[in-house]
Amino acid sequence: MSVELTAQRRADPYLDLEDYDPEADLMVLNVGPQHPSTHGVFRMKLYLDGEVIVKAVPYVGYLHRGVEKLCEKLTYTQVTPIVDKNDYVSPMMNEQAINMAFEDLLGVEVPRRARWLRTVLAELQRIASHLLWLGTFTLDLGGAIGGGSTLFLYCFRERELVLDIFEELTGCRFHYNTHTIGGNRHDITPGWAKMVHEAISVIEARTHEYEAMVTRNGIYADRTRGIGVIDAGLAMELGLTGPALRGSGVDHDLRRDAPYHAYDEVEVRVQTEAAGDCMARALVRIREMRESVRIVREMVDGVPEGPICGHRPIKLATQTKIKAGQAYACLESPRGELGTFVIAGGGSGTACPYRLKIRPPSLHALAAVPYIMPGHMVSDAVAILGSLDPILGEADR
Amino acid sequence: MGYVLDSLRSMGVTMRNLFRAPTTVEFPKVKRPRSDRYRASFALLHDEHGEELCIGCLACERICPSAIITVVQAPKRESAVTGKKRGWCADLTLDLNACIYCELCVQVCPTDAIIMVRTPEQPAFEREGLFLSMAKLYENEKLLEPSWGTGTKLLEMQDPKRGAEEAPKKPAPAAVQPTPADASGSTSEGSA
Amino acid sequence: MSFLLHGLLYGAVVGSVLLTVTAWAVWFERKFSARMQSRLGPTIVGPVGLLQPIADALKLMQKETIFPDNADRFLFRAAPPFMVVFSLATAAVVPFGPDMIAADLDIGVLYILALAGLMLFPVWIGGWASNNKFALLAAMRGIAQGVSYELPLVLSALVPVVLAGSMSLSVIVSFQAEHGWFIVWPPGPGLIAFGIFFVASLAETNRIPFDIPEAESELVAGVTTEYTGMKFGFFYLAEYLHTLVSAAVAAALFFGGWHGPWVSGLHWFVLKTLVLFVSIFWIRWTLVRFRADQLMRLCWKWLVPISLVVLMAAAVAVQLGEGR
Repeated sequence: MSVELTAQRRADPYLDLEDYDPEADLMVLNVGPQHPSTHGVFRMKLYLDGEVIVKAVPYVGYLHRGVEKLCEKLTYTQVTPIVDKNDYVSPMMNEQAINMAFEDLLGVEVPRRARWLRTVLAELQRIASHLLWLGTFTLDLGGAIGGGSTLFLYCFRERELVLDIFEELTGCRFHYNTHTIGGNRHDITPGWAKMVHEAISVIEARTHEYEAMVTRNGIYADRTRGIGVIDAGLAMELGLTGPALRGSGVDHDLRRDAPYHAYDEVEVRVQTEAAGDCMARALVRIREMRESVRIVREMVDGVPEGPICGHRPIKLATQTKIKAGQAYACLESPRGELGTFVIAGGGSGTACPYRLKIRPPSLHALAAVPYIMPGHMVSDAVAILGSLDPILGEADR
Repeated sequence: MGYVLDSLRSMGVTMRNLFRAPTTVEFPKVKRPRSDRYRASFALLHDEHGEELCIGCLACERICPSAIITVVQAPKRESAVTGKKRGWCADLTLDLNACIYCELCVQVCPTDAIIMVRTPEQPAFEREGLFLSMAKLYENEKLLEPSWGTGTKLLEMQDPKRGAEEAPKKPAPAAVQPTPADASGSTSEGSA
Repeated sequence: MSFLLHGLLYGAVVGSVLLTVTAWAVWFERKFSARMQSRLGPTIVGPVGLLQPIADALKLMQKETIFPDNADRFLFRAAPPFMVVFSLATAAVVPFGPDMIAADLDIGVLYILALAGLMLFPVWIGGWASNNKFALLAAMRGIAQGVSYELPLVLSALVPVVLAGSMSLSVIVSFQAEHGWFIVWPPGPGLIAFGIFFVASLAETNRIPFDIPEAESELVAGVTTEYTGMKFGFFYLAEYLHTLVSAAVAAALFFGGWHGPWVSGLHWFVLKTLVLFVSIFWIRWTLVRFRADQLMRLCWKWLVPISLVVLMAAAVAVQLGEGR
């Protein structure tokens, strides 16, 4: 197999395969929607020459649930619990993104306590999401029965601590519906801050254990170094954001560059790595986890007094009527820039949005698949997909 | 050879975890405590005089994003306790199969009639078992432990004027000007 | 007793004991690995989950056998029993105690290595006959890995043979009983040879970090993707059996078999096998797997040259010893 052709394919991955050497036998392997490690129902068609991937074609849409269309029939107050389920791994982010857009449209000011609380919750959610990512990534590399599952269970054990915190605050461990237009719906309980401190101390201590099993392990390094290199130019062209972008050396983080919530009151140290391979993305995420721990520790005790919601709470489904206008609000989710674009209905105001569009970071991450897979082997395909951290729920909506 | 040392280090981590107490428990025998605000199922309440609180206002039916609540209103008549005319509910069914546990129905209820319960795991053997009838909802009031959230408490917690007198006057934070290179932040046009 | 009767009797005893031990070795691994992962492991079936293997066997037996479309039925059926047979047959020459050996062959080590090589066939047959691309990929990888790692396996297994002067396992163990375990004496070759033998056994039995033929996260279930019910059970059982027997063989070759400080006998053998078995699955539950080409590189660039050197060192040690 010629190496030059792989480079050509890298330049234009949708190049037709007819000009490939017709003597060579290519096997088409469908890493189908049902597969132990496709992070949701994602399908990849791999054209293989032996074990080397010549072309990779991603197919999304297997988890399309029509969320955006559904939201056109739901009132502004009802949208939050539905949109919760997009990026089902970090629901806080979905809720916050949606409500930020609605607050822009309404011109509602979110009180300081609510903004502070939202920041703490977002960072805790980031920790939980990265823990899940680390577990599933190692699972991809090491097998469901074997070393991968050990780290997976350790990560989930720590993640349970964060979910317990959320349960204490909102009543649900997952898909909380704790945000509303103007602020939050649940306020913190007296012992909450102490619970948070205990949990993040444990998480911080255990991160060292993970590193021993993960980033400082030679076998792991062999599987992730030099694999799936995304260079900075390609990343920016594809609209990649989040740890995938920062792993390619681009220093961009919405929390620092365009602060929202209470991020202007706390320092966010953005972690970058220059290599652009799977190991770089893994390191970025682990460091981000530590950084989130630091931010939470700094912020959780100093929650300012005041109301937690700046807009009248929901009493009627149709109470929030927004007249014409459009808004885009975005935040830094664990996967990248999660944005919501909403066009309000016209006339004297409608209770339902006219159009709700969600900008999912995972979709842009999956767009990188045909560019970075060719030239690697089947084992690497799984590793690369895992390192991009796609969540099909938000990619497909 | 680096592999050997790395493997030994990783194996050390696993060995350490061998001696930690297991995190999992034998579930049906050992149950773990849930928070006060845990949301598992629903109950309809009577007031302290034993009268049904539900006035059939349809607020919960209208707010539910999954449209699982069906309320049949009964004609207005006088209450046996206060003597005043009030609404009644002939039938309220809740399809727990499709519930997304968003707590919005609890929040909008003007009389705190519908609440969530925090006794977890309310399984059934058939789908019909999860379709909560009014009788079952009133039964849950006696059988299951209520969650913290009621309409009044949630509204009070989210009141924009709450705690305003204690909070020192804080100036609105300066609007952050996004730099031209950034394609982020929130931009909005139009008005409410 | 006639030779045939002796063989049959011993074979039956060894076979049944080994199969039972394997079933409970599965239980042991599940409990141990569960504790390593901060969870409980089997607890419901029987006290401490001890009857779990029986439950698993019953479950597998009552499952429907599904033949994939266009699968080669004869080969599909043939692969699993051969796996079990070859694994069990390997145990025939293992000396469990001073006089407990089913077949005291002169060529014991050669027999074991030959069977280890033969065990690649059912893997390949199973993968081919499944008419499934994932299984085929896995089978190809399995063959490549198995054939490559046979070299370090053979070369490192030859070190005790050279040091003891015989291929018969009982002679090797008796030699160690007299002159000291090969892992410590002569210093050097034995330890390194054991290391290579251990790693090569992990690769031959498709254990993590060398389990690319059954890589769950990439190839669903590898060779056994299309196998259901007891056929799958056979593959699983054969893998465990092979692991256990490899641990036993390593104990016999390098750790002195049934020889021990106070009273030599079966108990020492069992203890040593157990320790090796525990380390095998401890590694399994800790490490992630190698990629196919990295695995090959490890074998050809590292293990084969080192095992050649070690073999020569062992030969030199024997020459020097004879001079004494």
